[in-house]
Amino acid sequence: MAVSGFEGFEKRLELRFFHATTNKNPMGLRLIDFESLNQVLTQVQCTVVSAVANHTFDAYVLSESSLFVYPTKLIIKTCGTTQLLKSIQPFINLARDLNLTLRACRYSRGSFIFPNAQPFPYTAFQDEVVTVEASLPKSLRHRKASVMTPSNNINTPRAWHVFTASADVEPDESNNNVLVVEVCMTELDRVNALTFFKRKGDDKKNSDSAGREMTRMSGIDTINENAFICDFAFDPCGYSMNGVDGERYSTIHVTPEDGFSYASFECGLSLYDDGRGDVAEVLCRAIDVFRPDCVSIATTYGGEDYDSEVTKRVERVLAKKLGLKCRSRLMDEFPGSGRVVFQSFTPRRR
Amino acid sequence: MGGLLSSLVGGETVATGNETEHSRVTKFSSSSRWQLHFNVMKDSNQLLVIDFYATWCGPCKFFEPAFIDMAVKFTDVDFVKLDVDKLPDVAKEFNVTAMPTFVLVKQGKEVDRIVGAKKDELEKKVIKHRTQ
Repeated sequence: MAVSGFEGFEKRLELRFFHATTNKNPMGLRLIDFESLNQVLTQVQCTVVSAVANHTFDAYVLSESSLFVYPTKLIIKTCGTTQLLKSIQPFINLARDLNLTLRACRYSRGSFIFPNAQPFPYTAFQDEVVTVEASLPKSLRHRKASVMTPSNNINTPRAWHVFTASADVEPDESNNNVLVVEVCMTELDRVNALTFFKRKGDDKKNSDSAGREMTRMSGIDTINENAFICDFAFDPCGYSMNGVDGERYSTIHVTPEDGFSYASFECGLSLYDDGRGDVAEVLCRAIDVFRPDCVSIATTYGGEDYDSEVTKRVERVLAKKLGLKCRSRLMDEFPGSGRVVFQSFTPRRR
Repeated sequence: MGGLLSSLVGGETVATGNETEHSRVTKFSSSSRWQLHFNVMKDSNQLLVIDFYATWCGPCKFFEPAFIDMAVKFTDVDFVKLDVDKLPDVAKEFNVTAMPTFVLVKQGKEVDRIVGAKKDELEKKVIKHRTQ
């Protein structure tokens, strides 16, 4: 591992809102004007580099990851040394202006490759929790913080950190069958990682065209062929994309440099997806793009339905197709925010 | 990953809100006026770039300055904006499912399209199709 470098591991924030009781507008949060969104992003220290909207949601590719805006849900994910938690209060205020009340908040992240390079409060999870709590209204009474640490004897086990706060423990219909899968990959195959470096001679300005080429060459466009992809290539290397497919989002971010290489794949989909491809197959295709030596998968089940078959199937498919052995499987429940399953994998040969 | 973005962020002068004042981009909100314009363009060799947008669409707002810059830069190309809420039939006719969508038309026929706020790709295609 390098001594220092760009931090690929993201901080992720998800805010869910109740539907408005007065002045109802089906667009909900999507009515927040772009200028206001931009101001919040400036506080977080990132900017929009590409974007697309479909019938269901708006997807923004940021200089440091992604932002998704649904009518009653916001997901923002940022990497590097961004100040993600500074966005909580501004987002809550903007939503309030649209008569939308906060229902639940989730903050999660893996373990930083360079923890000492992070600014306060990201230097310790306890401090992040204190910061999140200070930004939330008291109405979010059900709170839980958890650090899921694999207990196997690998040098530096990467833990999964989650903090959730919820106004109630009643199932949120709009979140009921939603599955969010977050895959974090490190020690990427060096040859595969080369795809995400801009080639010499590439005009520095052609970042979305260069991104398009990376999407094709890496095979990222085959992960979900139904998805429309909004991609972007950074200077001199690095790649981001948002996938948009009906209500479903997906997002990939790559830091390809050897010594601190990292790639993330996240998607939100319905537990009862028919004809959309099996979750395990989708994950397998995504991980295969990078052939990493270390993978962690955090799956969040929004509603009451937990299907252990999905977890086991993912383990079987990854073992069979990619030779990745599951080294640990942890589970935790979060009141009003569902269940999280955290799996860690490394190649079988170890 | 945190690279140089100066060429993409904002740009200089952008009149927020009233871009109809910007003479290089024409906004259409009436179906009959649009049809008239489209028919006129059919008989010309000029490249027509249609930006399908919606007033509430964040990604469209994000792209606005870039579109205006492009219109100022390529004076031989016709840049228009169509509000999908005001002209839903036209949006349907052009199969617009995501926004912003840019459709490049020459002599009444679609020659290319870009979906999403992709500045470089749009510019590349405008350059490709403007002369022929």
